[in-house]
Amino acid sequence: MYIGLDVGGTCTDAVLLEKGQVRAWAKVTTREDLLTSLLEAFDKIMKGVPADLIERVVLSTTVITNLIAEKKYDPVGLILIPGPGMEHSHYNYKTETCILNGVIDYRGRETVPLSDQEIDSALARLSSLKYKKVALVGKFSLRNNKHEKEIYGKIQKANPDWQVDMGHQVAGQLNYPRRIMSSLLTCATRDKYHFFAQSVLTALDNRGIKCPVYILKADGGTMPLKTSLATPVETIFSGPAASILGVQALIPPGETAVVVDIGGTTSDLALILSGQPLLSSKGAALDGYMTHIRALSVKSVPVGGDSVIERVGKEIILLSERLGPPYCMGGPMPTPTDALKVLGLTKLGDAKRAQEAMKMLGDPIGIETWEVAARIMLLVNKAITSEITKMFEKWEQEPSYRVWEVLQKKKVRPNTVVGVGGAASGFLTQIAAALDCYPVIPPYARIANAIGAAVARPTLQISLRADTEQGTYSILEEGFQGPIETATFDEDQALDLAKKWLWKRAEKYGVKEELGEVEITRKEVFNMVRDWVSCGKLINVSVQTRRGILHYIGTGVEQGEK
Amino acid sequence: MRNKKTGIVFFPAFDWAISPTHPEREERLLYTRDQIFEEGLMDLPEIEEYPPKLATIHDIARVHFCVPRVQSQVTEAHMIAAGAAMSLGDSIMRGEIKNGFALVRPPGHHAMRVVHGNRGFCNINNEAVLVEYLRRQYGIKKVVIVDSDVHHGDGTQEIFYHDPNVLFISFHQDGRTIFPGTGFTHELGGPGAYARTINIPLPPGMTDNTFHYVVDNLVLPVIRDFKPEFIINSAGQDNHYTDPLGSMKFTAQGYAEFTKKLNPHLAVLEGGYAIETALPYVNMSILMALAGIDFSNVREPDYSSASFKENPERFGQVQKMVQNLLEVWDRRDKTDIEKIFGTSKFYQRKKNIYYDTDYIEEDQIEKVRFCSGCSGYIVIESKANRGFGEAGRLLAISIPIDACHNCQTEAYTLYEEGINDKKDYHFVKLQDKSTDTCLSYDRDKKQEWKSEGPRPGV
Repeated sequence: MYIGLDVGGTCTDAVLLEKGQVRAWAKVTTREDLLTSLLEAFDKIMKGVPADLIERVVLSTTVITNLIAEKKYDPVGLILIPGPGMEHSHYNYKTETCILNGVIDYRGRETVPLSDQEIDSALARLSSLKYKKVALVGKFSLRNNKHEKEIYGKIQKANPDWQVDMGHQVAGQLNYPRRIMSSLLTCATRDKYHFFAQSVLTALDNRGIKCPVYILKADGGTMPLKTSLATPVETIFSGPAASILGVQALIPPGETAVVVDIGGTTSDLALILSGQPLLSSKGAALDGYMTHIRALSVKSVPVGGDSVIERVGKEIILLSERLGPPYCMGGPMPTPTDALKVLGLTKLGDAKRAQEAMKMLGDPIGIETWEVAARIMLLVNKAITSEITKMFEKWEQEPSYRVWEVLQKKKVRPNTVVGVGGAASGFLTQIAAALDCYPVIPPYARIANAIGAAVARPTLQISLRADTEQGTYSILEEGFQGPIETATFDEDQALDLAKKWLWKRAEKYGVKEELGEVEITRKEVFNMVRDWVSCGKLINVSVQTRRGILHYIGTGVEQGEK
Repeated sequence: MRNKKTGIVFFPAFDWAISPTHPEREERLLYTRDQIFEEGLMDLPEIEEYPPKLATIHDIARVHFCVPRVQSQVTEAHMIAAGAAMSLGDSIMRGEIKNGFALVRPPGHHAMRVVHGNRGFCNINNEAVLVEYLRRQYGIKKVVIVDSDVHHGDGTQEIFYHDPNVLFISFHQDGRTIFPGTGFTHELGGPGAYARTINIPLPPGMTDNTFHYVVDNLVLPVIRDFKPEFIINSAGQDNHYTDPLGSMKFTAQGYAEFTKKLNPHLAVLEGGYAIETALPYVNMSILMALAGIDFSNVREPDYSSASFKENPERFGQVQKMVQNLLEVWDRRDKTDIEKIFGTSKFYQRKKNIYYDTDYIEEDQIEKVRFCSGCSGYIVIESKANRGFGEAGRLLAISIPIDACHNCQTEAYTLYEEGINDKKDYHFVKLQDKSTDTCLSYDRDKKQEWKSEGPRPGV
């Protein structure tokens, strides 16, 4: 049996799955004392189930995201080696930042060395300002980590108690500003995350659950809770991923669908294309800064059941703010929920007050209450459907860098709109109609997030880059950089090597049995030619475990291992 | 205008090459990608990345006479490169972006009106396809193309040589020392477009100093006089001091400063084959300059200001040349055209065009009709020798967008006569820019093809 657990800011949801069926579920309030809430949720779903029947537990959480959003973490100092390019004043992360000279180029060649004196004075400065956490990031450090390692070595000698994170270990992709932000967040969240993980492990231990424990990542994959301690940032933003995977588990496989999660103040939109949730092409953004965190693509629209409705002249308009609960539930202003009540589309609230709310808007301009309600429905509908259309258009507008990619572009539109979240049911039919789709509210929609966590499976990827002229290769995800051992290294050998690393990583994560099929997601080879003669190859290959989920709920279909 | 973004189409064509070791190969923009992506430029609020789109066969036929047909001369990569320039043109005209950079390959500025094959790594002239599209779709009249490639932009020059509404300015390494061996100061445009072609051949080894002397004292004043509605920069980067094919000594800073001064609506990548030492830095600095981002911290790893000494004697030559060209420009409308070009009904040029990539030799006679009512139609007779025999004779007629009724009638009559004249021409082609119609007749197949563009505004 599997347990899925979603620890949100207000609610903690838990579900117990047995052979693809929901056996029990619970929704409890998240309290200050995390441990108590977790135990309460466990006890509700585990009634009469012996602990040793539990095969795995998967968590998802927004607790860390909230900490970051509220800036409840220790200050992190930055040591940057940006070299030529953007003006250095561009690297403004609202924290103490030391900029050092030194240049590594795009092939990983050192063109300007570091200066010992500069390093020493940067460390002295951070130390005098009492920084104990430092993120250390060089431009193109993914191609050569020499500079980062040099400084790291010095810090270890001088200040062994500092917590230091190096850019090349946090993110191996191109994009320096995103690598800085990812490193900063990794450094900032490490100990808070440690505390969270510890609470979970204690709760499980208390209830005698000894199975493997995983945590959901923002990209919809899982990793063991223990290994996640090294890269906590991958688990932030996993909240939306949980709901989307939950929907994926609750609708038929292969469907192209829009997931609409309408809450009180915002609606989250996501796309499932031919059965696979869409990954965001750019990394997740936080506080206006982009990161390298691979995340599912989610669009937040500032419209929800509690949004304020106002009349301006003869127009009725929808505002993006919330001033309390809906009028029919004792709030101060008319809201979309009041409109739902008047039209008989919700059980919530008081019918008389809802009528009153519509009258407040309609009477001065001589419009009947039902028409006011209808207009409000249309406003909400438009706000959401126009964003959905934009999401598909934006997806089609993704750049392509190869001829074949340009030629195979096609237009895709959804056939299903799936509603989850409190207010979704009332609005869903109209939204679906506007998009020419079927509306679906799956059973267990309220706990889709916990289900999503329960069915998520481990995903691992390995990206290998080899430069045969320089005789080096690197593994982006591991921060590894080393020499190529064989004399004739080609793309097939690169692929084999990448697969070997994937196995190694799986072993490290304790998920070797679950690895399954390996997908090749990228394979490109560039012949380097200098003076009309080939002098080497640049090879990029990426392999990953198959994406997907373990179960489709209610169908008895088990994906993956047969 | 100030708050608008800079659009970029980055199309490195990572799966297209002329041949595996050719300079125009997959690897060319690889390090540019690394540099631009590592800098995070695409994430900046000043920059918006657009996907490439495909140009249509008709968009190509509006400019080029491809032999035997458009489809036999272009690959999809060409359609994407030209389409990239067009889609950025659309976004600029619709007011979505203030300017754009088509960072694309393959390049195009050596492709002439008649295309028998690839010359100077080019098949299709991306800028010319864009200009004809903008004129047709948005009714733009006056366009400036400034070619900053080390090689003379002979294709673009040839296509607009008789066009008074397209001012073509090219500065490049002296044609006596580099391909294609043209682009001298006396090449000033045809009778109907005198001084609308301006060439500044620069002695080898000149630095940013000369570059900016020419820009400040000739290029910018001439453009101000011309009052264009749209400015295009054929942004070749082989004037860079590390380029393997050119011998000039311009830098990334020099290119960026030039871009800032010219402030073009659109920059289109042309040549530049120092793929590691120049392209990553020059492309980055051009993009930053277009977007109004401070580029003062962009510099090449081996840059040292000490190695850039200008030869004073050669600089003096450039100053003199600039002075002479300014005088030509100032007198452009007072010049006695008949004295230069004669008084017959047609002005005729004989051309021998060599396609260096495909080893084709083309003999061409180009005639332009003297007309007081419009810029006059052009008649071209061409035959190409491919080494293994002749590919067949071509008669091609081009009617300008501002054509008078008389010229139009004469041109269509010539086309009919060309088809009926059984023995002479294997291919007879006509492009009528005034109605956006292209006709193409193949004698051996006894077949005529016709294409028409969408009506403007549709």
